[in-house]
Amino acid sequence: MVALQRMGPNLQLIEGDAQQLAGMIAFTCSLAENVSSKVRQLDLAKNRLYQAIQRADDILDLKFCMDGVQTALRGEDYEQAAAHIHRYLSLDKSVIELSRQGKEGGIIDANLKLLQESEQRLKAIVTEKFDTAMKQGDLPQVERFFKIFPLLGLHEEGLSKFSEYLCKQVAKKAEENLQLVMGTDMSDRRAAVIFADTLTLLFEGIARVVETHQPIVETYYGPGRLYTLIKHLQGECDQQVEKVVEKFVKERDYHRQFQQVQNSMMRSSAEKIEPRELDPILTEVTLMNARSELYLRFIKRRITADFEVGDSMAPEEVKQEHQKQLDKLLNNCLLSCTMQELIGYYITMEQYFMRETVNKAVAMDSYEKGQLTSSMVDDVFYIVKKCIGRALSSSSIDCLCAMINHSTTELESDFREVLYNKLKQGFPATTFQDFQRGVTSAVNIMHSSLQQGKFDTKGIESTDEAKQSFLVTLNNVEVCSENIMTLKKTLESDCAKLLSQGFGGEQAQAKIESCLSDMAAVSNKFRDLLQEGVSDLNNTAIKPQVKPWINLFLSISHSIEEEEFSEYEANDPWVQQFIVHLEQQMTEFKAGLSPVIYDNLTGLMTSLIATELEKVLLKSSFNRLGGLQFDKELRSLIAYLTTVTTWTIRDKFARLSQIATILNLERVTEILDYWGPNSGPLTWRLTPAEVRRVLGLRKDFRDEDIKRLRL
Amino acid sequence: IRSMWSFWLKNLRQFSFSWYTPEACLQFKEHFHAQVRTACQQSAGTVGLKISKVVVVGDLYVGKTSLINRFCKDNFNRDYKATIGVDFEIERFEIVGIPYNLQIWDTAGQEKFKCIASAYYRGAEVIITVFDLADIQTLDHTKQWLEDALRENEPDSSFIFLVGTKKDLSDAVCERTEIDAIRFANEMQAEYWSVSAKTGENVNEFFSRVAALAFEQSMIKELEKTMGHMVQIGTGNLISMLNFASCVYFPHLCSQRLGRVF
Ligand SMILES: Nc1nc2c(ncn2[C@@H]2O[C@H](COP(=O)(O)OP(=O)(O)OP(=O)(O)O)[C@@H](O)[C@H]2O)c(=O)[nH]1
Ligand SMILES: [Mg+2]
Repeated sequence: MVALQRMGPNLQLIEGDAQQLAGMIAFTCSLAENVSSKVRQLDLAKNRLYQAIQRADDILDLKFCMDGVQTALRGEDYEQAAAHIHRYLSLDKSVIELSRQGKEGGIIDANLKLLQESEQRLKAIVTEKFDTAMKQGDLPQVERFFKIFPLLGLHEEGLSKFSEYLCKQVAKKAEENLQLVMGTDMSDRRAAVIFADTLTLLFEGIARVVETHQPIVETYYGPGRLYTLIKHLQGECDQQVEKVVEKFVKERDYHRQFQQVQNSMMRSSAEKIEPRELDPILTEVTLMNARSELYLRFIKRRITADFEVGDSMAPEEVKQEHQKQLDKLLNNCLLSCTMQELIGYYITMEQYFMRETVNKAVAMDSYEKGQLTSSMVDDVFYIVKKCIGRALSSSSIDCLCAMINHSTTELESDFREVLYNKLKQGFPATTFQDFQRGVTSAVNIMHSSLQQGKFDTKGIESTDEAKQSFLVTLNNVEVCSENIMTLKKTLESDCAKLLSQGFGGEQAQAKIESCLSDMAAVSNKFRDLLQEGVSDLNNTAIKPQVKPWINLFLSISHSIEEEEFSEYEANDPWVQQFIVHLEQQMTEFKAGLSPVIYDNLTGLMTSLIATELEKVLLKSSFNRLGGLQFDKELRSLIAYLTTVTTWTIRDKFARLSQIATILNLERVTEILDYWGPNSGPLTWRLTPAEVRRVLGLRKDFRDEDIKRLRL
Repeated sequence: IRSMWSFWLKNLRQFSFSWYTPEACLQFKEHFHAQVRTACQQSAGTVGLKISKVVVVGDLYVGKTSLINRFCKDNFNRDYKATIGVDFEIERFEIVGIPYNLQIWDTAGQEKFKCIASAYYRGAEVIITVFDLADIQTLDHTKQWLEDALRENEPDSSFIFLVGTKKDLSDAVCERTEIDAIRFANEMQAEYWSVSAKTGENVNEFFSRVAALAFEQSMIKELEKTMGHMVQIGTGNLISMLNFASCVYFPHLCSQRLGRVF
């Protein structure tokens, strides 16, 4: 409390100071406010002054325009007049309103009226002059007045009038061209594609028009206006295309040919149109479409580039709207629709062409001695490539994909069916070989033939043919499968080229991929067919031969003494003969089959030998020397088979080799040197039960010893 | 890529196995074939991409393109823009861990484009025949469309759907049309659905059903193929697996997968 009292006077002092300070701040503040409001007023005044000057300028300008237009019009200086009108049109409307409210309002009003009249007059004059120039085909005058329209705010009118002029030019040229077509000598070099050529001339003409006049449009109308110009031109283009196509349809009898094709495809009885006759027209239609695609790509690029410049600052919606307009122009123009229709008919006719020609190639199939395949495979793929190639040359992805699909169906269903049926007839296995091998069978054949009342040596010949046919068909199937993959690869790179040139829509790549992978799947179907055919061959031609040869093993004793063992050494009782048989038999296949198929077949054969030999072994009995004999035999066999195939024989014969090892043992317990922890690098393919069973084949081993084994 | 698991979880759990009307549906199973599930579980992440081809046919203006656009791009356009030739969309999924694509071919309904469109019918795992609920004529024409599409395919190799569009315009007439449609579906051995591309009603549900059935089919085909090989080698006894009853319930699989994804 005392301390507080002591502070009393000090506090009073502070209070006084504080009040003084507050007063000063308030003063400064109001001063500042005063000043700043003055500044603000000053600023406003300045702005008003500027506006006043601007307005005075504008009013002066307005007056200048009013005078200028009159003078210019009198002097027929339309450019100058238009420049004045342009200035007037770009003036602030409120300025004009203000000027009318001023003291001289009356005069200004009158002048303004004059100005507006002049504007109307100028518009009329320009339109009229333009029309006259257009009628006279006076390009400099046309261009002169074309440049004036945008100054008068008449962009759309200007473009539309100018397009009208350009369309007339296009039409005139097109009519001349069409006249020329009608007069063309049909022996002319280009006669077969004359309609494609006519379309080309039309498109090139329009492209040239665009090239020539794009700069003037850009300069005087600004970017983003090309679309309007081209849209007008497209209208003319459509009309001309319609005329050309109409003539084409009539002259080439396009619809009737299509109708006839459709009839022959639906009813086999209908009078068939000769596919060769369709060849030229199919080529011409694809060429026509290719030209159209090229042209459409041209205008797409031009318009897109122009919009890009014009819309660089535009909001997203405007850009999208422009894109939509462009898409609509490209997709819905009569040119696109007409071409789609022609291509639709083309697809059906091309499909017919392909199917009929393939049938012909199949019917005329021939085989030359020494060749692995027959003529139809080459022919069929030549045809398929030709048809797809033609579809590709149309530059239309949809057309190409459609034709890829038809080709896939043709190969998968029709052609594969032909090969399948040939294979189904089978490889005539026994008769011929029996005949070769022994009199017994020959007697049998004669017997049966005689019973049927005929003896026909041709039977043997035709058996030979049937065999050849089977082998050739196998080769054919393999080549088909290969060819399809090659075709797919070629098409992939062809399509990549087409796409990189800017043809095809956004999904073009995916469409192509889908159709091509479908085609590749058919290649696998041919592979499957080949596999079936080879295993048929193995079952019908090899198995019936190999089994008896292997069974001969049973008649050779493998419980032998030294003497017989040496005798066997001098005169091999089985394996050498077996190898000779195999060699003989396989010669035919080696010569008649492609290396890949032959290798496939030998693979199957070696598996077969391994299985059959094992079966026979289990029916035989051995002693120590017999086991040794078998080991020798097996080694010879493996050595031989290794030379005829690229397959790893050792693996297929692993079980047999292990059996040989067991049959070669001195004592039963010796197996333990190879078994379990002692097996070393050897992996046993035999189960313990099988090992016991094999040991049991050794007549000199005691059953108790085998039973006692711990495996 | 729509590998959005949540999307699938939602759709598969709630809709994919539910049919639209029991009077016309292709099967009543509530989840994938037991073996398909086992196979998926074992091979998730290891098998290649599975693709099924879907072909959409029907008269012009019935709303084929709109239906596809609603599903693939989730938009709807009031203006009619005729399809020229064929359009193509790929919708990417992941089903129980297996990447899966539907290739949707949108064909033109206009007669003059038929030649080109029909070249795309081959190899269709799914054929969707579309008609306009408000235009009974278009329903009558579905039989012809289907016949044309089937001609290019192996017998019994495709699922068939009959779809009535513009359900939002529904009134008494539409309801009567729907009764006819169900009868048609039975005759065509098709599954019937009614949808609206405008409102989106039933669109996702429908395509989920399509994807689920086609996916299962393609997995079964694959299994049969590999089993065919195995039987050849002689491992035996695999065929009986086809019949073994399932104890793995589908949502369980989902949650397992979820555990791995998130
Ligand atoms: N109200 C309503 N209108 C729809 C529906 N679906 C489509 N439409 C309209 O029907 C018209 C035709 O639709 P599209 O999808 O183009 O028909 P489309 O079957 O593809 O025709 P094409 O391509 O010529 O075969 C368009 O104007 C759509 O806006 C729908 O569910 N409800
Ligand atoms: Mg459509």
